[in-house]
Amino acid sequence: MSRQVIVITGGNSGIGLATARAFLAGNSQNSIWLGVRKQRAGADELARQFPQTCRCVLLDVTSAEAWKKTIGETLALEGRVDVLVNNAGAHRDMLLGLMPANAWNETLATNLTGVFHGSQAVLPAMISQKSGRIINIASLSALLPPPGQTNYAAAKAGVVALTQSLAKEVARLGITVNALCPGYIDTESLAHWSAEERQQIQARIPMRRLGRPEEVAAAVRFLACAEASYITGSVLKIDGGFL
Amino acid sequence: MEQDAGRKTEIKRLLVEHLMLQVTAEEISDEQPLFGPGSLGLDSVDALQVVVALDKTYGLKIPDPETARLVLKNVNTISDALAAFLATKPTT
Repeated sequence: MSRQVIVITGGNSGIGLATARAFLAGNSQNSIWLGVRKQRAGADELARQFPQTCRCVLLDVTSAEAWKKTIGETLALEGRVDVLVNNAGAHRDMLLGLMPANAWNETLATNLTGVFHGSQAVLPAMISQKSGRIINIASLSALLPPPGQTNYAAAKAGVVALTQSLAKEVARLGITVNALCPGYIDTESLAHWSAEERQQIQARIPMRRLGRPEEVAAAVRFLACAEASYITGSVLKIDGGFL
Repeated sequence: MEQDAGRKTEIKRLLVEHLMLQVTAEEISDEQPLFGPGSLGLDSVDALQVVVALDKTYGLKIPDPETARLVLKNVNTISDALAAFLATKPTT
């Protein structure tokens, strides 16, 4: 597999960090740019382990200016961007009747507007290259919205629609755009669950277990590889058979 | 005048190369519309490619769809926009 330049948002833990590790394991020459915001210990540690190929950069995905700066730095150093993994996300779960406007706005900004800004930032380079892969981490909540997640589910459903629309726009330019919808993945975002809650959820999953971040990362790597060149606008569930 | 003609030829070559047009640069007239009836048959995705190519090649930024509509009418309008932009750049 040829060397790729890969930008991953939400790269400090969970799916983002697992994806970075998967790309580094796939080709030691791959160059990884890990976008992080407040927490960065995990990403910094990976960058320390792979100082030649992994960088950790401060990136507020909701800011078009921050994207411009990060992608500008990437292009200045690497000359290209092959893969963008829009993974940064945030929950503020609550019933809509009790939801303050900022919980709605902030959730949409991080989960949906961030994908818009990121995609817009990398498109000029990918159009010039006539190649590129944009992989958006949506959520099973986009397809099966639970109560208490009107903001998150709407944002992720927006990511799915953005993916399918953008895929059509850029298909003939050699750029693919796909979305993944992970179900219950064993990451820090589930760390607050009690053992009983975990058991209850696992009992509802046909595979009777939570997914691993590495299992999502494997799908990201596949969508970024040369063999996936005819796959675009797809929405892939990774949920142990939940839906 | 000569500079003008040279620039227009460059723009035509840019269009042919970046959009993989099935015509040669010589077959494109300065006034030929890029979009619509009697045009080169470009669409909005082609326009996006031209915007990117003008930025990458010359540094000419077309910041919004309204400006794109004005600039990307034909080779003449692109050339005019490019000349105006290049005139603002300090000569080295």
